[in-house]
Amino acid sequence: MSDNSHSTGQPANEDHENIVLKDDTEYGRQHEIIKQKQAEDRERAGDPAEPKVGVYICRCGGNISDVVDVERTAQIVGMVPGVTISKVHTFMCSDPGQHMISNDILENGLDRVVVASCSPFLHEQTFRGAVSRGNLNPYLYEHVNIREQGSWAHKHDPEGATQLAIRMITAAVGRLQNAQPLDLIKLPNHRKALVIGGGIAGMKAAAELAARGILVLLVESSGRLGGQLNERGRVYPSETMASEIVADLEKQVRNNDKIDLLLNSKVTAVDGFIGNFRTVIEGPFGPAGGFDKRDALVGAIVLATGYRPYVPRDGEFLYHQDPCVVTTPEFIQMMQNMDPAAKSFEYNGRNIRSVAFLHCVGSRQLDGVHEPQPDGTLNKYCSRTCCSTILQQALALRKRFPKIQVYDFHRDIRTYGRGEEDYYINASKEGVVFFRFNGEDPPQVERTMDAKGHLPRSRKAGPITITVKDMLTWGEDLAVPVDMVVLGVGMTPSPIQDLIESIKLPTGEDHFLQEVHPKLRPVEVAVNGVLLAGTAQAPMNIQETLNAAGAAAVKAAAMFAHEMVELNPFVASVDSSLCCGEGICVTQCDYEGALQLVEKEVDGQTVQRAEVNAGLCVGCGACVPVCPHRALELNGWRLDQFESMVDGLMADIPHGDCQPELVHLG
Amino acid sequence: MPLSTATVLSKRIIKTVQGNARSIKGCSMADGFTPKILVLATEKCAYPGADAVGKAHLEYPSEVFILRVLSPVLFPEDFYLRAYSKGVDGIIIAACGSDCPYHGAYERLAKRIDDLTVHMKDGGLEIERIRLTAICTVCIKAFLKEIAEMEENLARLGPVNRTLAETLRQESRQRLVTSARYSLASTITTGERVAL
Repeated sequence: MSDNSHSTGQPANEDHENIVLKDDTEYGRQHEIIKQKQAEDRERAGDPAEPKVGVYICRCGGNISDVVDVERTAQIVGMVPGVTISKVHTFMCSDPGQHMISNDILENGLDRVVVASCSPFLHEQTFRGAVSRGNLNPYLYEHVNIREQGSWAHKHDPEGATQLAIRMITAAVGRLQNAQPLDLIKLPNHRKALVIGGGIAGMKAAAELAARGILVLLVESSGRLGGQLNERGRVYPSETMASEIVADLEKQVRNNDKIDLLLNSKVTAVDGFIGNFRTVIEGPFGPAGGFDKRDALVGAIVLATGYRPYVPRDGEFLYHQDPCVVTTPEFIQMMQNMDPAAKSFEYNGRNIRSVAFLHCVGSRQLDGVHEPQPDGTLNKYCSRTCCSTILQQALALRKRFPKIQVYDFHRDIRTYGRGEEDYYINASKEGVVFFRFNGEDPPQVERTMDAKGHLPRSRKAGPITITVKDMLTWGEDLAVPVDMVVLGVGMTPSPIQDLIESIKLPTGEDHFLQEVHPKLRPVEVAVNGVLLAGTAQAPMNIQETLNAAGAAAVKAAAMFAHEMVELNPFVASVDSSLCCGEGICVTQCDYEGALQLVEKEVDGQTVQRAEVNAGLCVGCGACVPVCPHRALELNGWRLDQFESMVDGLMADIPHGDCQPELVHLG
Repeated sequence: MPLSTATVLSKRIIKTVQGNARSIKGCSMADGFTPKILVLATEKCAYPGADAVGKAHLEYPSEVFILRVLSPVLFPEDFYLRAYSKGVDGIIIAACGSDCPYHGAYERLAKRIDDLTVHMKDGGLEIERIRLTAICTVCIKAFLKEIAEMEENLARLGPVNRTLAETLRQESRQRLVTSARYSLASTITTGERVAL
């Protein structure tokens, strides 16, 4: 470290003005408070040359201590220069464990803390909290992973695991010697939400947000609210009319003074971060309804972009080759538009006497069995709603036209929700005939041919024949002639590639938007301030969609409960005393406005200096290594901290019976 | 610490005993080269990937040191060379690859590591000592494979030449300063973006 051109341990960024959003006086005031607190913290952070480090080693109830000799580890790290306390506890994360840390800081004046326990993803925040409660800046804390990457990964090498623990802790102590107190970056929170998509999910989210007093921009690309539900009739399991659900939600959304409804509009650009998303919306805002752009500053974004029904390829199960092969949404529309007085079912000049419903079209596709989509992927997922939809429609058809023979070809029947199993039971009772096929061996849908391979003259047998190896009759090959085939199509993600790219949204293998955690954080995405509502995330039925939309809205509302947005402090900072204003770093930054050269007064001369806008900096560190003067550092992840870690890892560690003196840093 | 022999494989015992003998302070080191590997693991991908290995109770040598980083694009060439000069035998940069959460960072990292390899090669430091790879959060096998391959390489190469590494580090610092001057002349006027 001696050759570094700057002194370590000095606060790098004297002028924190760079994190002020210039036009925001409120923030400026807030910033004064932060600055003052930082100065106090720095005072309390003590002299980095003589730190007082406390090391706490967790046994994890044996998970760690069965392998790592924690007592010896504590004894040896106690000899590392700067360590004043080293203790062992059975459960460091327990209340007594955390208390011990806070108390030691207060009573013994510790100014740095290391906890060696499990993975930082489990308890780093826990111990930062414990450190804060001891009135120490939470970033003067270092977490060492000696469980997932220690005892568990070196179970048969206890001595090695112990050595590793000692080295990793020594490294952490080194890292802390160059650590600086940091504070969360606070920025104004714009209490306005953008909801993209005016289907039921979008409307529900908008209504829920508005009910919590939050202004909402609801953007819908078509000219009509309701989305896919506009294409539906009665919906399971309540048998409510879809139009009633849409009308109910529409009533809550329209004429709501909190909701700004933009139809025929599209969000074309999004940048910024939680509390401060700058978006551009294109729509008929121009004079005389001409298309124009409009900027909107919002604090949160709810994605309710929904799904598109799977569209079978031309020729897939005779789709688009026989006029009586239709998809479920088409069939539902057909039934909706039918004359209520009709005595028989006529379609395309064909008298329909038998109808086959086919499950899993465009869902649960298998390698080598199904043809991939144009982009080469298969829809491997279950669309979850088609089984109940098919059974509901089959049942309705049987009830409406008891003479029509209804067949159901399924791989499995997944009527999983409350009230949905009844559709299966009732369909059986009403005489729907079930066939079951293997996924590897889907049924074939072909034109009916006579024995000579010609289209039959007689119209007695249906013009379409479905052949299936039926598992319900232990693999018998059956041929079923029918007049109409209804393809139970699944859900596919809406084409929102532009949004995915501009917001940098994560998508799953299935191309739907991906949540942070399927169970623990189901409506949040990795981009803070962006929430998922409904089928943009995965196939869901109406209930699930509205649940998700409600959750997303409440989550967004909770974000707005704070006046300021807190961002983690790991952003680049410039040491003005080292910066020469060459601007090489600026060329390395891909984030517009995050790193810029600005003019400054230094010793009566106007010079250029690099400046970081902490609100826009993402903390990647791409700018750091190009500075020949090391004027740039990434707060919390400084290069000298990493160098100290390497020194710690390579230190001479006393072993076994050899009587140790002090640990020598490399 | 007494060895729990019941569960310890004989190979491990030998290694551990050697390790003990080697590193007892003040005691002279006899033989047995155990390579020291530094893994720079990204917080979003490779670090949880390494956690997954431990969670699956799969093992790798204990002289593998995993450091958590936001993005390894942070490190200048001289950081790697300095690590070698301090006795690190091999470095694995376990990044996110195309899953990198930072725009353009992975491409920059790849370019920088390319340049580093060229300089190592020119300077006579074995390029097998550095490896850039992408490890995902559940890439257990890939992680173990990378470690095994690096171990194999290092067993063949032996300990790193620390003096050479230190010389290269100093050269690298010098180069950074020089190239900065050069690019200053070319960029500021044209306003072009240059990759260093």
